[in-house]
Amino acid sequence: MSPADFTALLPLLVLAGTATVLMLQVAFLRSVNVTAGLAALGLAVAALSCITAASQAPLQVTPLLQVDHLALLFCAVFCLAGAVTVLLSLDYIQCHGDEPEEYFLLLVLSTMGACILASASHLASLLLGLELLSVALYALIAYPNKSILPLEAASKYLVLSGAASATILFGFALLYAASGTLSFSELGLRLATLDGADPILLVGSAMVFAGLAFKLSAVPFHLWTPDVYSGAPAPITGFLASVGKAAVLLVMLRLFLEADLLRYRILIELTGLMAIFSMLAGNLLALLQSNIKRMLAYSSIAHIGYLLIIFMVSLDLGSRTLAIEAAAFYLVAYTVTTIAAFGLLTVISANQAERENVELHHVNGLFWHSPLLAGLFLVSLLSLAGIPLTAGFIGKFYIFNAAVSGHNWILLGALIVGSAIGIYYYLRVVYHLSRRPEKHHTQPKAAGGWLTRGLACALILGILLLGMLPQPLMSYLQSIL
Amino acid sequence: MMESLFYIAALVAVMSTVAALTRANAIHALIYLIVSLLAVAVLFFLMGAPFAAALEIVIYAGAIMVLFVFVIMMLNLGESGVAREQEWLTPRNWVVPGVMAALLLLELILALRHAPALTSGISVDPKAVGLTLFGPYILAVEISSMLLLAGLVGAYHLGRRFIVRREKR
Repeated sequence: MSPADFTALLPLLVLAGTATVLMLQVAFLRSVNVTAGLAALGLAVAALSCITAASQAPLQVTPLLQVDHLALLFCAVFCLAGAVTVLLSLDYIQCHGDEPEEYFLLLVLSTMGACILASASHLASLLLGLELLSVALYALIAYPNKSILPLEAASKYLVLSGAASATILFGFALLYAASGTLSFSELGLRLATLDGADPILLVGSAMVFAGLAFKLSAVPFHLWTPDVYSGAPAPITGFLASVGKAAVLLVMLRLFLEADLLRYRILIELTGLMAIFSMLAGNLLALLQSNIKRMLAYSSIAHIGYLLIIFMVSLDLGSRTLAIEAAAFYLVAYTVTTIAAFGLLTVISANQAERENVELHHVNGLFWHSPLLAGLFLVSLLSLAGIPLTAGFIGKFYIFNAAVSGHNWILLGALIVGSAIGIYYYLRVVYHLSRRPEKHHTQPKAAGGWLTRGLACALILGILLLGMLPQPLMSYLQSIL
Repeated sequence: MMESLFYIAALVAVMSTVAALTRANAIHALIYLIVSLLAVAVLFFLMGAPFAAALEIVIYAGAIMVLFVFVIMMLNLGESGVAREQEWLTPRNWVVPGVMAALLLLELILALRHAPALTSGISVDPKAVGLTLFGPYILAVEISSMLLLAGLVGAYHLGRRFIVRREKR
């Protein structure tokens, strides 16, 4: 490996170094604040090092990783999301877990898995990145060991996600058996020369797709989502819902484009069907929830549905670049918004015994006793709903635009219907926020020091900035694609 | 003729895995699981990957043997333990896995007398595996080390839940 390779890998090297330092620090000195500080610092430095690494991009580093601008952009986003999650978890984990230090080590490792997925260009690195992301997440979900809900959530996630990984691996074996290569781009070349109707190749790619769709929790592979989301610690739910999904979607996009799985029209039509089902089922089921975390879980299924539209759009060569651009923007906006929403849930639900559950009536009258938090929560909900002036609106508009340019009218219809239903249940939370507090009802006291509040403000500022001034990110995306 | 060896081993693998899944007794399931892993190792050997076959036995079958020993250690306490083991070791329970394992041994001996790669034609020796792992796939090795670290730390923390509870009692 040449010096250029090391420069390009700098973010990953910093993350690996941070993980090692944290491990040694925990072994010699247990202190939550030091561990959390080091983890946040390491993640921030890794995010900054993406700028240095960008000087070498695009570069193929060994057959496994392709470090290009898109990968580095998302590396930086994931590292920042990881750092924010570290800071948001600090208060939570001190109250709810004994020996809270390893939590931060696992979070760094999980972020590293996401970064590997963002730059994977080989089936082996795809699998390793996916496993690194999920194995660390199993432990993170089950981390608070005083209550039973997280353990239940983690065991469900472990069993189902393990089955999905096995399906993906089986699909890889079939692809390899038929084509003789594991690298994305070579796979694309081989597929072009092979018979397109080879059932082994089709079954193999369908299995890979099914496994990835499970990780994305697209309907009909969504059954685990509400249970896992509601049982997991709120900051981890935010991390899982944003980084966990964005990384998988990114690698799926890369696999489909570079290995040219778009040639299997039936597979892409399947993604379209899945998108419609996810948008409708996710939004309709979210209507029925009284637990806010479960509601957000179903809404995340719907958001994955919106994102899956871009695969159908990519079939049209002319709109392919626009589709990728839309997906990238949407993923950035969605990551920021989701982290903000779950971060605020962590703060709001701070003083409850069963902190994993946040019911609608728990937030009753939040506007009247802590207007700042309620205002911030309002902005993140509006962004999820896709109301103008927020990041969510621009993201949705981008997807809308891509669907129009690809002439996918049915998908567009489902997107509009889904968003309309979505507005109702997001605004229902806002209604509860603004109700007059009842006298006899004990108010949930919002916790979190200046750090959490400052972080929440920064995230909301990010959402508004992306919503009002989207041009810098848009032109950057256009320049790198 | 040589391809029939592959199909026999594959059949043994599938059958023993099904048996491992359906046994109610954990010990019997473990025996079938070992047979299943041995069958997969024979498959690797027939395909010309003797190193992978050896790893399969050392790591997977070996680890399960350790598990097996632990179970016996924990359960074998006094007279009742002896009686229970007698009950487990009725011929009905060991003859079938024994025959399967013997079949695999026979296949291995037959395969050893011929060229190393019977079904694929290309044999991959340990040196080639090492050169690939520490050549183009060096990053995969490094990422795996991080994956193992995540698994280890996670298992430590989740295991603690039960240790702490026991200490409190």
